[in-house]
Amino acid sequence: MNNKPKKPNTMKTRMKYLTYALIATATITACKKDDDDPVTPTTPPVNEEELITTLRLHFHSAGGAEHKMFVFTDLDGDGGNAPVIMADTLSHDSIYHVEIEVLNESESPAENITEEIEEESDVHQFFFQVSGANATVMYDDMDANMLPIGLESMWTIGAASNGTVIVTLRHEPDKTATGVSSGDITNAGGETDIEVTFPLVIE
Amino acid sequence: MPLWRAFHSHLRHLVSTFVLAWSVGLSGALAQEVPCTLVLSGQVIDAHDREALAFAEVYLPDLGRSAIADSTGHYRIAGLCAGDVLVRVLHFGCEPVERTITLKTDMEFDFRLEHHAEELRAAEIARDRPDEHVGQAHAQVDKDAMARSSGRTLGEMIAVLPGVTTLNSGPTISKPMVHGLTGNRVLVLNQGIRQEDQQWGSEHAPNLDPFSSDRITVVKGAASVQYGSDAIGGVVITEPVELPREGPVSGEVRGVGMLNGQAIGGNGMLQGGVKGVRGLGWRVQGSGRSMGDSRASEYVLSNTGMHETGASASIGFRDHRWNVAGYGSWYARGSGILRAAHIGNLTDLQNAITSGQPWYIGDHTREIDAPRQTVEHLLAKAEAGYAVNERGRLVVTYGYQTDDRQEYDIRRGGRSGTPALDLSLTTHTGDVVYKHWLGKQVHGKVGFSGVYQENINVPGTGIRPLIPNYRKESGGVYAIEHYALNEKLEFEAGARFEMTHLLVAKYTASDVLILPEHDFTNHALSLGANWSMTDSTRIRFNLSSAFRPPHVSELYSEGLHHGSAAIEVGDAALASERAWKGVVDLETALFKGRAHALVTAHASRINHFIYLRPEGYQLTIRGAFPVFNYVATDALISGIDASFDLRITGPFSWRLRASTVHGRDLVRDEWLFQMPSDRVENTFAFTPRRTGRWKELELAATSTLVFEQQRIPVGVDFTDPPRTYHLLGLSASAARPLGKGELRLGLRGSNLLNTAYRDYLDRFRYYTDARGIDIALWITYRFGNN
Repeated sequence: MNNKPKKPNTMKTRMKYLTYALIATATITACKKDDDDPVTPTTPPVNEEELITTLRLHFHSAGGAEHKMFVFTDLDGDGGNAPVIMADTLSHDSIYHVEIEVLNESESPAENITEEIEEESDVHQFFFQVSGANATVMYDDMDANMLPIGLESMWTIGAASNGTVIVTLRHEPDKTATGVSSGDITNAGGETDIEVTFPLVIE
Repeated sequence: MPLWRAFHSHLRHLVSTFVLAWSVGLSGALAQEVPCTLVLSGQVIDAHDREALAFAEVYLPDLGRSAIADSTGHYRIAGLCAGDVLVRVLHFGCEPVERTITLKTDMEFDFRLEHHAEELRAAEIARDRPDEHVGQAHAQVDKDAMARSSGRTLGEMIAVLPGVTTLNSGPTISKPMVHGLTGNRVLVLNQGIRQEDQQWGSEHAPNLDPFSSDRITVVKGAASVQYGSDAIGGVVITEPVELPREGPVSGEVRGVGMLNGQAIGGNGMLQGGVKGVRGLGWRVQGSGRSMGDSRASEYVLSNTGMHETGASASIGFRDHRWNVAGYGSWYARGSGILRAAHIGNLTDLQNAITSGQPWYIGDHTREIDAPRQTVEHLLAKAEAGYAVNERGRLVVTYGYQTDDRQEYDIRRGGRSGTPALDLSLTTHTGDVVYKHWLGKQVHGKVGFSGVYQENINVPGTGIRPLIPNYRKESGGVYAIEHYALNEKLEFEAGARFEMTHLLVAKYTASDVLILPEHDFTNHALSLGANWSMTDSTRIRFNLSSAFRPPHVSELYSEGLHHGSAAIEVGDAALASERAWKGVVDLETALFKGRAHALVTAHASRINHFIYLRPEGYQLTIRGAFPVFNYVATDALISGIDASFDLRITGPFSWRLRASTVHGRDLVRDEWLFQMPSDRVENTFAFTPRRTGRWKELELAATSTLVFEQQRIPVGVDFTDPPRTYHLLGLSASAARPLGKGELRLGLRGSNLLNTAYRDYLDRFRYYTDARGIDIALWITYRFGNN
């Protein structure tokens, strides 16, 4: 009975030590600096494999007399520095065979994404929406299901004019939906991998 | 005398109130064991003035039966077997009383209920789970309510409480939202441990199995004093289950099937004591759920299947001095993300909005393809408590949890099987708390809590991490004291001081490792009062503060967030959010106990409220994306939750739940984005008396009306909020003895009119309607004493 009042004090002391111990443990853990600390990896993360930095449209006139280019480059990917867009002037009343090249130039050597699209050609399709300028675009390639891809196309250029063309790459579009195989994007669905607007100047 | 229990006993008063509130709906349904014919009857009276206490609940926990005393305090329970029967008597404003009565013949027994706390403590009262929220408005979903919600997510289970909603990403992912706040502003406590499961992401649902608990409490106040950071909007608590101290094995099995999504699920639980070791108990539990694609009213929601598995085990020993417990749980979930919600750019989003239906609708399937996510959460907890003396108890708790999350996107080049996001989060939590009595009127607790956390991006995704690696350490000290002025009025005051250190390891765009460090120092205070004005009316008042250091995602996000078609840019200079929240909670019984009303009014001022604000556009190869910057403002959120229960006549009753929340951006003088719109829920229930051996029969029709959100900020959202919608639900449930146990079954129909609707708080409302008609059937069998 006489001991009773003392008990809380000893416990208080014990508790104090326990608290100290806990704080000490926390502090020791905090100070620990492992060489192979998983929180601070010494190697940077691998480059973004699926990043698309560059879209090139190669315009070849009949007989190969002209080679003009539309180029979109955004080397640091989404965000960061603004992309650079370049488009050559096209010649009026002419026909171009257009080849598309898609690259990831953040890697060295640059990764050729065109090949990936070719390998999965049945689930990819390019669309070309021209407005304001006298130009019509027809597909010049086919996937295994005899449906267009758009990596190759024929551009028929009319009289001198100014406008724009939106080049879109859709992943998993419904290629059999109305109008899609003739280049109408309205019913295509799928999700957009590329959507770039180029100025289209015909002189 | 086990005085340390005393401070639990007077907290228990609140538990009893809630038991009473929940039991109103069950009151009419009594059953009789056929072979037993003894009658227990008597009167419930006030021990002081000998006046009858009307409408007290007389509850036989072992038999799961209850009766409500009439207006003169008389009660009668027939059909009892000879032997010992445990009786618990509950009355509004009184301490519950528990007695074991030995029945040999029909018996009259009068219960004297006390207001006076000291005398009650002398009585032998079975230990109940302590109510830790004296001054805080809170609400609960109990075991039976959870059973009725079988097949639903944790978020959906608690969204029946007024003021609680969910932020959804399609039919399978729902995050709890309290008074308009969610994510890092609502703390989830799982078995008393802060749940750390990447809760910052709006498409990251809580990674826990609700059936690992048997009661979920939602605290609607700011509660950083008690729980530390993040408890700004409130706290969702899956309560630890009280283990049996002795006795034979008891358990429960449950099965559920749901028509929409063709879901099946089940849950099993066993618990018991250990022969010869009084105080030692154990419990094991496991559950699983699998569903295929859900359906909206007119089409299949493709790739919205999910499957989840959970298991938990606990063991504990308790005597008058010691309690030692260990708990472990494992939870895994794989869920599909609506195929049509995966979009490449803003054009796709605009197309989705204008087309009015998902661009991809396939046949119903149980297969889950990319986009999808898998999570795995492990929790281990050890707890030890020791009654230092009769006036103090020391409790030490340690928690270890790992959370692994993989998110799979639709990717080119056969990479869809490689996660686009692969996070591993490890958290250690430690708590030391000393609960004590000082004199006769003051009790409280002082404590220390620490958190150590590491977040690691598992290499190999081939994609720049959405959030960087980080290490977080935080430690806090706190004290909360309660002062009981008299039996009717009690005050609470508390304070916490907490420090957080954050180390971030981030590779910049040019692959340079930067190691910025942040320190946050915060404090919180709370003041509360609990005033039982009369036997039937109580007011709770609480003014408390809470804080939240900014999350790494808010500090260091940089880049395109595919899920929201936006470039999100963090701000490393952001400071902690600090909130003051005031809550007034009025609870009253009307019309001689036939009606019960609860009104909660709340207002919170959140300084440095961090949110995403649109700031122009940025051109990428996928087109132009809106740029959202993490910025801070000052916010004021206020609202009212109300519930009203009325026994109309005989077996008919009416329940009303309504809530409204207003969120203002005080700096810009405009509304806050993504606040719940006003809602009203009406339920008419028919609870007939027993029919044959069936008891606790309930038939209920529920009408839910959710109004169009009119309070929206200008220029933040991609489209207008969805229109007002109305949903009709019907449910039926009943119980009967079967063998040595009890069978319960129920049928639940939701959106019975198959209404096509979209909800403002569904992030997929841009792409699709919400779920259509659903009918669920659940069956539970309980055996033994539980």
